[in-house]
Amino acid sequence: MEKKVVIEARNLRKSFDDFEAVKGIDLEVFEGEIFGFLGPNGAGKTTSIRMLTTMLKPTSGQVIINGYSAEKDAILAKASIGVSQQHISLDKDIKVRQNIKHHAMLRKIPFRDIEPRMKELTELMGLGPFMDKMVVELSGGWRRKVSLVCSLIHDPKILFLDEPTAGLDTKSRHALWGIIRQLNNKGTTIFLTTHYIEEAEGLCDRVAIVNLGKIVASGSPKELCDSVGHITVEYVNRDGKRFGKQFPDRQSGKEFMETLKDDTNVTLRKTTLEDVFLIVTGEEYSKGGADNKITENN
Amino acid sequence: MAWGDLCYFKDNIVSILISCLIGPVLYLVAFGYGLGNSMQGGADNYIQFIIPGIISMATLSTTFSFVSSKVMIQKIFYSSFDELLLCPIKTSSVVLGKSLVGVLRGLLSCTVIMAIGSILSPGIQITPFLFVLVLVSSLTFSLLGILAALIAKRHNTLNVFSSLVIVPMTFLCGTIFKISDVPAALGYIIRALPLTQPTEAIRAEMLNEALPWLSILIMCAYCVIFYALDYYIIKTGKY
Repeated sequence: MEKKVVIEARNLRKSFDDFEAVKGIDLEVFEGEIFGFLGPNGAGKTTSIRMLTTMLKPTSGQVIINGYSAEKDAILAKASIGVSQQHISLDKDIKVRQNIKHHAMLRKIPFRDIEPRMKELTELMGLGPFMDKMVVELSGGWRRKVSLVCSLIHDPKILFLDEPTAGLDTKSRHALWGIIRQLNNKGTTIFLTTHYIEEAEGLCDRVAIVNLGKIVASGSPKELCDSVGHITVEYVNRDGKRFGKQFPDRQSGKEFMETLKDDTNVTLRKTTLEDVFLIVTGEEYSKGGADNKITENN
Repeated sequence: MAWGDLCYFKDNIVSILISCLIGPVLYLVAFGYGLGNSMQGGADNYIQFIIPGIISMATLSTTFSFVSSKVMIQKIFYSSFDELLLCPIKTSSVVLGKSLVGVLRGLLSCTVIMAIGSILSPGIQITPFLFVLVLVSSLTFSLLGILAALIAKRHNTLNVFSSLVIVPMTFLCGTIFKISDVPAALGYIIRALPLTQPTEAIRAEMLNEALPWLSILIMCAYCVIFYALDYYIIKTGKY
């Protein structure tokens, strides 16, 4: 059976005066998948997500959300999506309960349905004890959960999460990953942007990597790793600079390791999405962290 | 649309009322009893003249600053203004919803001032049409508050606008003196300002004089212009 496309961008472009932030993005996100949108700072992620969520009008190109044009049928397109923005967008001088109710009303949920829906979501997030607190009194992790409840209150088909775990501690991050998986298991399509590559690798069915306003790679994390070579030899030269080289198999990697000088710190391991990211965006491997001997990781 | 703002209003009603009323009541005491005694006709006459002016002044001072800072904070610091644009609601609902709390504040504070005024000067009349005038005036300045917050990129710009436009308007637009008393050239400028029209209309209604329909028409025109500008800026995302 053919998968239904719920987010579609065709030749999406956005210019700000002379600067072209997004240079023709084409993408398709299928119903029920978790789609990761990755890229370095300034790559055009936020501009793209703002266009995909109808908040910003593209200079040219088209966005279709759940079958509705984001430009011509903006209200219908908006009704299909929930958005948790990178900067938590809550009224901080009113209570958690009031914020959620406000969002429910903005989403035109019948008054009698608000309380049960609110109860269901706040139980899922564990927000019960915080409902009558002012948002300003909550920590970043709890504010993120309130923001998620607000974006889910109308039971959207598609959920956009812009850097949902930015600034959260490890425990909160893992808790949020669990919630994202739970929502996806219930059928919500999730469009996720993140700086944490391991987050995308662990959560996403497919990812697109964007650089300088263009998508430079897309596919499942495994497909992307295989496309560059699923074995990586990572080594550090005398200046402490880290390099990575990819190979189609372990044997080729080992042969390459033998050509390196004895005092080089070398690791042979599986290629990760982070390696792919560094290759396609032309970023450098970060310094430090190498062992003082040759190691082989599975 | 205005639920969040109304919750804030309900939870902070006492402090909001105090902040709304302290200025107008001080003006009433200082200008009415302080300056009034030195005015032609004495304090009683001047108080009767100044009460409508202070009510008109309150429709500006209690709405503009509240609405503009609320929208500015929601736009820059909370990013919750963007959240409104993500919801399946019309731009007109955003504009009117954001101005509703300003209108409520204006109506509430003006009602209290009217009550105080009717005790101090029993000659003034309070009619249903007076409330219509107060409502339109409060709506106009709430819409102006939204406009200022949408245009300003920083909070400081809003403060400068307030100091250069709102504060002079508060005192110059016939609120505490007759416009006919100022030099003709200055009088023309003052008559073009948006606070002059409600001041004249409110005064005429409260003192049972002939209604200045041209002023009322201009006041409504300002209201429509500010609404249209708010609508355009939000619709096109130029804020």
